Amino acid sequence: MEFINLGNIGLIIGFLLIIVGFWGVLTQKNIIKIIIGFSILNTGINLLIVSLGYVKGKTAPIIDATIATEGNYNVADKIVDPVPQALVLTAIVIGFGITALMLAYAMKLYKAKKSLEINKFNDLKW
Amino acid sequence: MVTPIYIVATALGVGFAIGVLNKLGRNFTGGLVLTAIAFMTFISFQWFAGFYSGNQLPEYIFTAGFQPPLSINLLMGPFEAFFSLMVNAIGLVGGIYMFNSLKERGSNAQVVYLILLMGLNVMIMTRDIFNLFVFMEIASISIAGLILLESGTRSMGAGFKYILATSVISSFLLIGVIFAYYFVGSLNIDDLITSNLHLVKGGSIAIFLIMMAVILELKPFPANGWGLDVYEGSDAGLSAVISGASASASLYVLYKLMAIAGPEWNYYISLLGAITFVGSNLLGIKQENTRRMLGYSSIGQLGLLTLIIGFKDILGENTIYIAFGILISHYLAKAGLFWLSGIIKSKGLKGWSVVRKHPFFLFLMGTFVFALIGFPPFPSFFAKWTLVMDLTATGNIAWVVAILFGSMMEAVYLFRWLGYAIKAENDHIEPVKIEWSKIIPVWIAALSLYGIGYYTAQLSEIGSGINFIPFLFVAVLLALDFLPIFIKNTLAIAGMAYYFYTVYPSLDNLRLIFEVIFMVGGILALIAGYAYKGTRSGFYPVAILMYAGLTGIIEANTTLEFFYGWELMTAGSYFLIIRGKRSMPHGLSYMLFSIGGAYALLAAFGMAQVSQISSDLDIINHITYLPQWAYGLLIAGFLTKTASVGLHIWLPGAHGEAESDVSPMVSAILLKAGVFGLVLALIGMGAADNQFSGLAYTLGWVGAITALVGNLMAVFQEDAKRLLAYSSIGQLGYIVFALAIMTHLGWLTAFTYSINHFMYKAILFLTIGAVVLRVGTHDMYKMGGLISRMPFAFIAVLIGIIALSGVPPLSGFAGKWLFYNAVLDKGWYFQGIIVFFAGGIAFLYLWRLIHTIFLGQLKDNHRNVKDISIWFAIPIYILIMGIMVFSVKPEWVLQPLGEILAPYFPNGQVNWVAGSASTALGYWSGTKVFITVVGVFAIAFAFLAISTRKAHKLKQFDIVFSGERPDRPETTHIAWNVFAGFYKAVWPATIPLVEKFWDKVTEMLHDTAGFTRRIYSGNGQAYMLHLVLFVLVTYLVIIGG
Amino acid sequence: MLKNTLMTLVLLVMAYLFYGLYDGYELRDSLSGISEHFATKGAEEVGAANLVTAVVVTYRGFDTLGEVTILFLTASIIAFFLKLKDEDFEKTIEHRDTSELLETASKILIPVIFLFGIYVFINGHLTPGGGFQGGAIIATGVALMILANPNIKLNYNVIHWVESISGVSFVIIGILGILLAGGFLDNKIIGLGKFGELFSAGAIPIIYSFVGLKVGAEISNILNKYQKSQKEL
Repeated sequence: MEFINLGNIGLIIGFLLIIVGFWGVLTQKNIIKIIIGFSILNTGINLLIVSLGYVKGKTAPIIDATIATEGNYNVADKIVDPVPQALVLTAIVIGFGITALMLAYAMKLYKAKKSLEINKFNDLKW
Repeated sequence: MVTPIYIVATALGVGFAIGVLNKLGRNFTGGLVLTAIAFMTFISFQWFAGFYSGNQLPEYIFTAGFQPPLSINLLMGPFEAFFSLMVNAIGLVGGIYMFNSLKERGSNAQVVYLILLMGLNVMIMTRDIFNLFVFMEIASISIAGLILLESGTRSMGAGFKYILATSVISSFLLIGVIFAYYFVGSLNIDDLITSNLHLVKGGSIAIFLIMMAVILELKPFPANGWGLDVYEGSDAGLSAVISGASASASLYVLYKLMAIAGPEWNYYISLLGAITFVGSNLLGIKQENTRRMLGYSSIGQLGLLTLIIGFKDILGENTIYIAFGILISHYLAKAGLFWLSGIIKSKGLKGWSVVRKHPFFLFLMGTFVFALIGFPPFPSFFAKWTLVMDLTATGNIAWVVAILFGSMMEAVYLFRWLGYAIKAENDHIEPVKIEWSKIIPVWIAALSLYGIGYYTAQLSEIGSGINFIPFLFVAVLLALDFLPIFIKNTLAIAGMAYYFYTVYPSLDNLRLIFEVIFMVGGILALIAGYAYKGTRSGFYPVAILMYAGLTGIIEANTTLEFFYGWELMTAGSYFLIIRGKRSMPHGLSYMLFSIGGAYALLAAFGMAQVSQISSDLDIINHITYLPQWAYGLLIAGFLTKTASVGLHIWLPGAHGEAESDVSPMVSAILLKAGVFGLVLALIGMGAADNQFSGLAYTLGWVGAITALVGNLMAVFQEDAKRLLAYSSIGQLGYIVFALAIMTHLGWLTAFTYSINHFMYKAILFLTIGAVVLRVGTHDMYKMGGLISRMPFAFIAVLIGIIALSGVPPLSGFAGKWLFYNAVLDKGWYFQGIIVFFAGGIAFLYLWRLIHTIFLGQLKDNHRNVKDISIWFAIPIYILIMGIMVFSVKPEWVLQPLGEILAPYFPNGQVNWVAGSASTALGYWSGTKVFITVVGVFAIAFAFLAISTRKAHKLKQFDIVFSGERPDRPETTHIAWNVFAGFYKAVWPATIPLVEKFWDKVTEMLHDTAGFTRRIYSGNGQAYMLHLVLFVLVTYLVIIGG
Repeated sequence: MLKNTLMTLVLLVMAYLFYGLYDGYELRDSLSGISEHFATKGAEEVGAANLVTAVVVTYRGFDTLGEVTILFLTASIIAFFLKLKDEDFEKTIEHRDTSELLETASKILIPVIFLFGIYVFINGHLTPGGGFQGGAIIATGVALMILANPNIKLNYNVIHWVESISGVSFVIIGILGILLAGGFLDNKIIGLGKFGELFSAGAIPIIYSFVGLKVGAEISNILNKYQKSQKEL
């Protein structure tokens, strides 16, 4: 069973989460649920990102005594890819910002119409 | 050079610092933000200037002290400098515009605005794809925040939908980016370009997702409901920035990433662009909300630009020129219109009639609308020209059709809007309050359009030949618009006379005939203008604009110059026509038929250009590529101006409702532009019996039917000016028919008719117009007996109708005589009979002009009416003298005409012996006929005068109603419905089939648009579904199952 | 029903698209591309033991600046979006009393949480963590404060000054990189120090401290606005 490894499992679960997220985003009428849908979607993407950085049998990209000796910090054959981990940090922060903004919108929209149904907010159309 | 990283550093430094500096007040922070933007603009301008002068090489900016791909780098090249300048400049000017609305929301909003611009700058410059993602998010979030400048649920809803949509888009982008990194091992765009990513298994899908995301940022049809809501719901200033800065940056991002996707994507990018351009503009015609309509237009324009960059490999080095022209016009015009919409504040299109209270608003709005449609002298005109030429030359006809169709739809709604602004009925117009900070940006945009337009023309070899002097004269008149009529009229006449004097030596004889009709005729018509009082605001610039266009088509050496003149003429005449009372719908239909015709010409010139080295106008003499189509299109285009049957429905209203001295301009003079065009096209087709004879034959039938229909419709008019207008349609039918005969005699007939029609139609329209000015109505049954009050007008009309009807002794007979010779010679008997029959019908309506207006009983309210104004009488009697000369000595005109036509049609010329003309069929002497007829008339007149001198004169009150009071007094007028019996005979021919046809076309377009736009349900979730479906359907199409 | 079918179809096609990507994936057993360089030379070039931090703060520092900007933007937008009217501003909301447990615990925990947050961002170049994580931890402390005392009035001035100063400092350090070292956001404006120690990796600890403070202030600000905006109801 070659695909049972962290990389493939991460990808499969990531894609599944993305599809679940899209399902929520596209079918749920409640704005809060839609926002949750986006959170799931983002989590899925984040999982994809870190999974793609996985290298078979390697450890976290932090140089400490377990993987390097004093004076030789070349750890190319010991660690997983650090770049996706940096990217995922950025992606998380961006996701956080957007979620915060969406929630603020949700609060204000609720105050305006006393409802969180997304199809109530179609004043502008056609 | 200040390194562009300071654009980022300045924006962020100021932005972060404002958190504490806001204690100093909002004016201070607002000023600080503007200063920061000004500095950013300076940086990009400095680079742009460097690249423009050619001394600057593109420069990479490295961050973190490492080389890419290890670190993120930016690129400042010519494109980057240009786009960054666009973003920052509109940010600066738009920031001034939005100063107060930002201030109202406080320093936080000011900062968000600043950071939006910074984000767009980095999107343009960055060479790292993940960095691109981050800064695209910055821009999106900023916009989602700035939408809230406008309070209310509507804009909040729009903002939320915007976040939802951009979140979906960025999800696709992020998945694409991370897989691209996985496959390539780098995030650097240059590495991705060289990596052959599309060859890797799965790589093409990563590319697909990235490309989809950047295309979706451009709001492609139909997945763009969210974008429309934002345009409609947000602050006008923000809409301008989104349309000008954000969309431009997104466009450049697409361009930048196309290098990764590779050439196989070009086709799809163009296709999606074309779908957006056509779809968006089609739906635009249903819009009644200004902002939303502008949104449709913006999205459409971006679609067009997407189409263009998809063609970059085919258009080659012209891509930049074309994209620049379209982009800069859209950028300035749309920003200007959005800004205006924020000043006008009216949501609906009809509310724009308020601009009438502020004439310079009309100038601004007109400038922007014409720039968007691609009229000269704006950059879009030259760009669209080059685009159509190049696409045709490379055989992409279907794309040209799509582009022209989309442009046509855009013209429909933009000109309808302009018409509302100029003319819509609106009783309660409150002038708007104008803030300086808001109006200055609009002026900057408008004036830049003219400046850049001129510059764009100079950039291309063919465009630099255009003579801008007449246009400059228009600008001078516009600047002097505040002066009284007398000065401006004198100036206009002097200008035209001087211009004619300088230009006529350079023209060949054929062109000189038309130049005389245009310029001398124009001067005569202008003389009548002295009769008006006040300043007659806006009249002179547009009238001279039309004449500038007319002389432009005469002087044109190249196809571009011809088209330039043609479009100037259209613009000027549109404004002239729409000045009339109740002219709004007629102005619109005139404009739409004109634009349709102009696009037909454009396409035809494109075909003519194929496999030709020069771009001289002569190339239409030997078209090799699809020549039947090309000549057909040329003819169809010109027939829109001659108002031939099928394309004539604009004319009666346009000419009938125009002002008294405008009707002769647009009827007697302007219609000849179409004739001139036909002459050129037919010369191109060649006289010999060749493959185009079928086209000429069809044209002959069109002319014959036009003559019949025009005259028939004229008979049943109760409105004197509409009667003359329909009569013009019929007369032009004769001319078209005669031209189609394609023999020496035929053309001689056509030219004779053209000159005659110019003179008598000018006489009639001027006289009737002058009468209308006195009596205040067009309706003939409201007049009567005016012969006693207006003898001069009576004589003028009498001479006019004698000349028109073609009976001896006046010059119309010359036309008739030549006409029958030509028809018999050619053997077109059946068509000839139709035209002959039409000529008979002409008597019916001509008689009414005299009988109804001048004979019969004088109306009570006209008892003290004066004769027509002297200023009308002068040109009228000059023209009458012209007719007299032509009648007495026709050989003075016809002999040289024959010589002019001889090179084109050497066979079958008329022989002249001492003023007597002879052909194979007979002979005729104008002078003798004149003397004979006048003699016979004098004898009969004398006899009648003597024999009836004891007759009882009928007085007004000799008529008795027998105590009956008619409900509709006009029905007792002898002239009312006088042809009721005739109508019973011919009514089937008067059914307005053509109007019905065009109504049906309009209705179908509206229904399609109305049905399709229902997909924009306003539901944010539906919009997200559109996005996802767009991606998935495109996936199935491009990558396949 | 139709809707469900359509949705199923949409998601199936999406899954099909993703399958194409998944199909192109192969588990790797060695680094390639730029990551190989980071693993080989990263320690030497940047001096940070945590290579993720090296990438985040230095190699891709420009992205990080963007991230900070996004948080800043969000906070700014929320600040003017949820701004209270003057008459609402002085209102107090009647809350159910918070439990004794929460109040007491918060008094003990909050200083510890703050301290932990600071530890995380100061040591970001050595151990897992960094400015964003530390800032977020600090913000959880603020969240706890608000939970424990819903009517608490946070000191705006402090938040704004922290936010502003740290943001501006980040930009200034970036510019110093241009002036003193190899480019915008270069961390070598001061010596790299001894590898693995607290004061090492050049400007990274300084940048990360500012980022941590800024992120903490930003998120606290957002939390505060959320809390306050309830007065509007």
